[in-house]
Amino acid sequence: MNRRRDNMTNEKHINLMDDEVTSNLVVEDQIARNITELLNDRAQQLKPQQEQRLSAARGLAIDYLAEQQAQLASGNRVSQNGNALRWFGQHLEQHRVTSVALILAVMLLTFFAVQHLSLNNNLENSDAFLLASDLPPEAYADKGFNAWLDSN
Amino acid sequence: MVRFQLGFKCLLVLVSLLFNGLAIADDANVTWAQLTDSQRQVLNPLASEWDTLRPWQREKMLDIARDYPKMSSDKQERVKKRLANWSRMTPYERENARKRHQRFKDLPADKKNELRKKWHEYQNLTESERAKLRAESPDTYGDADN
Repeated sequence: MNRRRDNMTNEKHINLMDDEVTSNLVVEDQIARNITELLNDRAQQLKPQQEQRLSAARGLAIDYLAEQQAQLASGNRVSQNGNALRWFGQHLEQHRVTSVALILAVMLLTFFAVQHLSLNNNLENSDAFLLASDLPPEAYADKGFNAWLDSN
Repeated sequence: MVRFQLGFKCLLVLVSLLFNGLAIADDANVTWAQLTDSQRQVLNPLASEWDTLRPWQREKMLDIARDYPKMSSDKQERVKKRLANWSRMTPYERENARKRHQRFKDLPADKKNELRKKWHEYQNLTESERAKLRAESPDTYGDADN
């Protein structure tokens, strides 16, 4: 019984609060309408000097807006030209780990390729191939043989 | 995190290079007993004098043993025959031989044949005649260091 009474009291409180909010909105709306009417009335009674100043201010605002839009357009053109670089930068940023791994892999591959090539080049120049040559090593080292070739 | 990973990878590369360098240095100090079977087989003509060789001489001989399997059988036979003489040559003589061998390799085939014949003719000279020729010829090359 007591609980039902409490519920009814709460509902009454909520209804009262809703009514208060609604009446506040109505009052604000009325104030805004009054302000608009007042401004419209006064706007009809402007002096020529005031009209001129307003017109000049409007002109300035339009010029400023046009300038802003022109700057924005030229900025877009620049960013379009730098799209590839920006894409590369973003790509690098987003895939930093992959990029680092890729660079390292390329470096390692280059290192091993250079080593492999230099090994192959050195192979033909190694002492083993000198020993296996058509002439024995003594023929290459013998000063007398060289002198004998010159004299014959 | 990425910087740490990058640093770690660089460190790994450096450590592997360092160990590679240490392994090469160790190779030069290896005794005859420490050689592998295949190395001993190639370097057999040097068995008695291996442990008296200087580290850089051992290193050069080990290079020969490394390249030996890549050769044809007749070239391998030549290497074995000439290895002992090669190890007894002075560093200066070896360096001269390398330089002249380079020039010989660049010669056309007919010139190479001619030189082979000339070498055989030179071998037929007496030892005193060859010694005289050696004494008369000036040193063509600078100092050699290995």
